[in-house]
Parts: sequence; structure tokens; C-alpha cells
Amino acid sequence: MKLEHEKIANSYSTKQLVVLTSLRILIGWHFLYEGLVKLCMPEWTAKEYLNGAVGLFAPLFKAMAGSEFAMTLVDTLNVWGLILIGLSLFIGLLSKPAKIFGIVLLAMYYLAYPPFPGLAANMHAEGSYWIVNKNLIEIAALSVLYFFPSNYQTGIDRFLFATKKQK
Amino acid sequence: MSKVIRRDFLKGMAAVPFLGYFAFAFKGSIGEEAKGKSKDIYETLKINKLDATGQKLLPPTGMGEKPLRIGVVGNGWRGEQLLRSLGFTHPDFVEKNTIDGKYTRKLEEFLNQEDLNVEFAAVCDTFDVRTQRAVEIAANDLRPGGRKTPKPVKIFSSYREMVKSNEVDAIIVATPDHTHALIAIEAAKAGKHVYLEKPMTHTIEEAVELRNTIKSTGVVFQLGHENRQQMSFKIARELYQKGVLGDVSMVQTFTNRNNTFGAWIRDEAFDHKLGNESNINWKEFLAHAPWHEFDLKRYFSWQRYSDYGTSVTGNDFSHSFDCVNQVLELGIPETVVAIGGQHYYKTHGDMPDVMNAIFHYPNRKLTLTYDCSLKNSIYRQAKILGSEATMDVDRAIMIYKDGLSERYRDIKANASDPMYYYEPNTGVDAISSATSQAYLKGGYGPTYIDGQVVDATLLHLKEWVDAIRGKGETSCNVDVGFEEAVTFNLANLAYDSKRPVKWDAENEKAIIL
Repeated sequence: MKLEHEKIANSYSTKQLVVLTSLRILIGWHFLYEGLVKLCMPEWTAKEYLNGAVGLFAPLFKAMAGSEFAMTLVDTLNVWGLILIGLSLFIGLLSKPAKIFGIVLLAMYYLAYPPFPGLAANMHAEGSYWIVNKNLIEIAALSVLYFFPSNYQTGIDRFLFATKKQK
Repeated sequence: MSKVIRRDFLKGMAAVPFLGYFAFAFKGSIGEEAKGKSKDIYETLKINKLDATGQKLLPPTGMGEKPLRIGVVGNGWRGEQLLRSLGFTHPDFVEKNTIDGKYTRKLEEFLNQEDLNVEFAAVCDTFDVRTQRAVEIAANDLRPGGRKTPKPVKIFSSYREMVKSNEVDAIIVATPDHTHALIAIEAAKAGKHVYLEKPMTHTIEEAVELRNTIKSTGVVFQLGHENRQQMSFKIARELYQKGVLGDVSMVQTFTNRNNTFGAWIRDEAFDHKLGNESNINWKEFLAHAPWHEFDLKRYFSWQRYSDYGTSVTGNDFSHSFDCVNQVLELGIPETVVAIGGQHYYKTHGDMPDVMNAIFHYPNRKLTLTYDCSLKNSIYRQAKILGSEATMDVDRAIMIYKDGLSERYRDIKANASDPMYYYEPNTGVDAISSATSQAYLKGGYGPTYIDGQVVDATLLHLKEWVDAIRGKGETSCNVDVGFEEAVTFNLANLAYDSKRPVKWDAENEKAIIL
């Protein structure tokens, strides 16, 4: 049953596989680097980012920023979430849950600063966005990778799920 | 077979070389990245860590003590704001801020604000409608910290009886400017502590008398410049003192407004339409001002009449002056020139609507300027021009390095983009990156302290109440109030006489040159 995706994965042409693998590596690279940069800055915290949140969920994000315990948790989960998701996508190891967690994480970033008209401009964004921003596009790209996985072909998952595949 | 397995293996490992490159190269890149992002702002500004940002909120005032009994002289729109900060609000406010049975954020904030443990004991107003409103405010049981049994407020027909009453410990004065000194001096002589709305006095002579009275009676005095509590000015002061700006040669302040309300024409604003000869105590309003027949325009737009008001300088410059005086400790200028005219709003009074004033501080090697137009509403923060950097300051701060600065020679920031900013609602102070050049317009409003956004007026009142209870001192005391009053009154004298005016510090007198 769960091998629906793997069946798709087996039917890719070489070009399709190269493109999908590249996309997976690029997103993995992005997550991993974001996570590692934060890890390398001991004073890094998402507090300012959450404090400046706008839109419907702003009170929730601001509340997180207000609690020391919540901030420790948020910062740790964020940094290690980014690193592990990045690594997983990169080498195609357990990529399926990584994609789901990646989408959840990106959705949080998106909701903290939804690019809707009338909301205060996000000081952390560098371009002009209306409803669609890079977070939303990365969510969409991860969704594509979820339904068109390459990790069963060009990732370590190839070996993990090998036994099932050979049945 | 082995070939197939080998190919199978290589395929599965396809991404690993990329990870290898990442692992090999990222260390160098990440070092630069982390260095760039976590670059110490204080290192950039070449100063030690700021003390101001670490300031803590003081513990609640007067716990377990008897409530302080406060009398309000002048329950106008400002009086009512002060009462709200003290924890008393009108049922109207509650009604307006209850939507479908739920409290708005504004009302929630009111209910969650600190209870200063004070009693709204007495009121006195020359307009009966406002007196009645005070009665309704006192009767409202919805107060910070939950519902409380309301205590009726005592009505006085004149401030003279109120200050003598033994049912009042302290007085808040929020009346027209020409009565500030009169009421504050009487109150101090009767041993009542005084919170006086800005500007301090209508004339320099009154400022001298008020200061002397406050000093001789020893009552606790606070002038109502609540921006004394604003974190941005405390930070700005520390940055200046630590040499971030270099030599300051000029300070610029502004008033820009572009409507009748902004020009202090207010006969029809608020509940002023309800006023008439039978519900206004005209004689009491006039006090020692020259006699004039009853006139609603004079009563409700008093700011525009030099008999009662203090012109644009007292109305608005006094705010900016106290802000930059906090930062730079300017004191009183040596010479003042001012020019302008009443060109646009000619229906009310004699107040200029276009005016420029220059204040010279030769011992500080700088001038302070004030530009006012009531026919243009561009927003401009106070600007402090230094040899190393320029600071825009209101609730927010932005610092731009000088293009020819020595101190910041090695900073790459473009001179037109702020190299440092302080964000008033989150307390973030940081180096600007290319992405944070949202030009912060702070205006006036709440301050950020100890991780919280707090009403600056409440903090200012609390400071006064605490000082009365023997804890600490007021920040806008009668000495800095004296500097405010003399400075803007010198500009008014210069404007009226069309002559430069000099301050004789020894004799405490203005000399029209």
C-alpha cells in the first residue's frame, strides 16, 4: 500500500530523476545551511522574529516569544529541525517524514509573516511579495517531492526499503 | 550481477558527493555568515554594552499602604487620559470597547495595567459637562485588577478650596496654560504634591516663582512630559554620552500638522458643542487673564490665544525640547531668534501657524532649531547632527554614519541607510542589514521596558506616586521643567518682539536685544 510512491519512483525517466534529485538536494542544502548557521551563532534566537510577527497568528507567536521555556524549546527544535530535515533531504535518508516536517516548519514561517495586504511589512524579507512568497513556494516544492519522491532511487532510502521493493 | 549491484549502490549514493562538497566548503562560508549576522552592534558603534536597555520595571507601588488621594483640576480630554492611566475610566470607554460582549485589546490593556493604589478623591472643572463626566468616571466599578466598590468623587467649584482640603493628598493639574503656575503654586503652598501638565508655565516670571515655591515647600513635583519614560530617549542619551555621534553641532525639531484640529481649533471637537454660558464658569477660566466677554472660541480653542495659551512652542515644541534636552542636557539657550506669522488660520486667536526659531548654545557649540508649519503634515523626527553620525529620534532611533566619519571609516554602511536602529515595540536594537531599512516612524506612544510594552504616561504618574511614597525621585522635576518653560517662552518673546532675545542667567530674566 505504502509503496504507491515507490512505484512512481520506479517509473521515472533518467531526466526526471535527475531533476527531482536536484530539487531535493537544493532544498536539503538550504535547510541544512540555515540550521548550521544558527547553530554556529550561540546567541541566535527566534525571539525577535516571533516578536515582530503579524497577522492572524501573531498573538500565538508573540506569546511564544514571551516565555523563556517556550523560546528554548522553539530555538532548539528550529535549529535541529532545520539541520536534520536538511541532511535527510540531502542524502535521501528517511526523506518522507522529513518532507512533512519541512512543510510544517515552513508553514510556521509563512504564518508568522503572511504576505497579505494591509499587514505590517516584514522587516526580515528582502523582496516584494503578495500572498505568494518564497516560503510558500518552498512548501509547494516539498509537496511535489512528497508525491514524486526520488529518495527511493537516488538516496539511502534505496537500501533501507530495498527488501520491500524486491518482493 | 555485481555490476548491477554496483550501479544500484552508486545510484543510491548519488547525492553524497554534493554533501561531501557541502561539508568541505561550508565551514568557511558559515564562519563569514555567522560573523556578518552576529556582528556585535556595540563593537560597530565602538561602545560598551548599553545600560538603558537592561532597565527593569519597578515593583508595584504602595502595596499595603493607604491609597493616595488625588484631586484632578481640569478633567478635559487630557485629564481623562491621565485618569485612565491612574486606573479610572468612563463607562463610555468600556461600552465602546466591548464588542459582542467581548473586551477589545485596548480595554484588556486597561484592565491589566498596574493598579497604582490611588483614590480619585476630588475634581474641579470650569465646564459642568466635564465635572459630570468625572462623577461618572469615579462611579465606574470596572478597574484594573477587577471590579471595585466605587467611591464618589468630591466636587469642588474652585481649585482654591480643593488645594486646602484635607481630603486630598496630591493634585493633578491639566488646565489651560495660563493657570498652570497659579494652581501649582497654591497647591504646593498648601502642601499638596503636584503633577502638572506640560508646558510648565505661561511666562518666565511664573516659571521662576513656581520653581522657587516647589523648592521651598519640598512637595513632590512632576511635569507631564511622559516621554521622560520613553526607552528610546534613554538609549539615545547613553549613545550620545558614549560618543557615538561625535561633536553635536545642530539639533533640529519640528511640528508639522495640516488640519484645523491639529492647529488647535477645537470649538467643535470632543463634547465642546455642549458648552454654553450657563454651564461654563467663565470667570474662573479667565483667572488672572485680561477681562474678555464670554466667547466659546476662546474657551475651547484657548491654545490659540496668547492670553491663555503658549503658542505652537508651548503646545508642541515643548515636547520635542524636553526629549532632546533629556538626550543632550541642553539647558537654557543664550540667545533666541524667532520669526513667522499667522497666515492660514485667522479665525481664532493670535497664534502663528508658520514659525522658525533658532536657539544658540555657544558653550555647547551648537544651535537648536524649531521649524513649524500647520499647513503641511510631513512627519519628521527630531534630528541630532554629530560629526561622526546623525541620529533621528522619537520612540524609535535611527543612526546614520557621517559620510566623512573617522570613527566609522571601516563600516561599509551607505551613509543614507541607518547603521543602527532601535525598534520601539519590540525593544530590538541592532545593526541595520540591507533588509531592515524600514524607516521607523515611532511618533509618541507606549514604551518598551523589561520585555513589556507599557503606557509611558502610567510610568510617569507612577514615578510621581512612588516619589510621594518616598521611593525615588521624579525625572521631569521642576529644574528641567524650568529649562523647558524658559526656552519656549524666550522664543515666544522673540516672535512677539521681532527681536533677538537673550537669557540673563544670573538675574533669570529675558533681555530683548
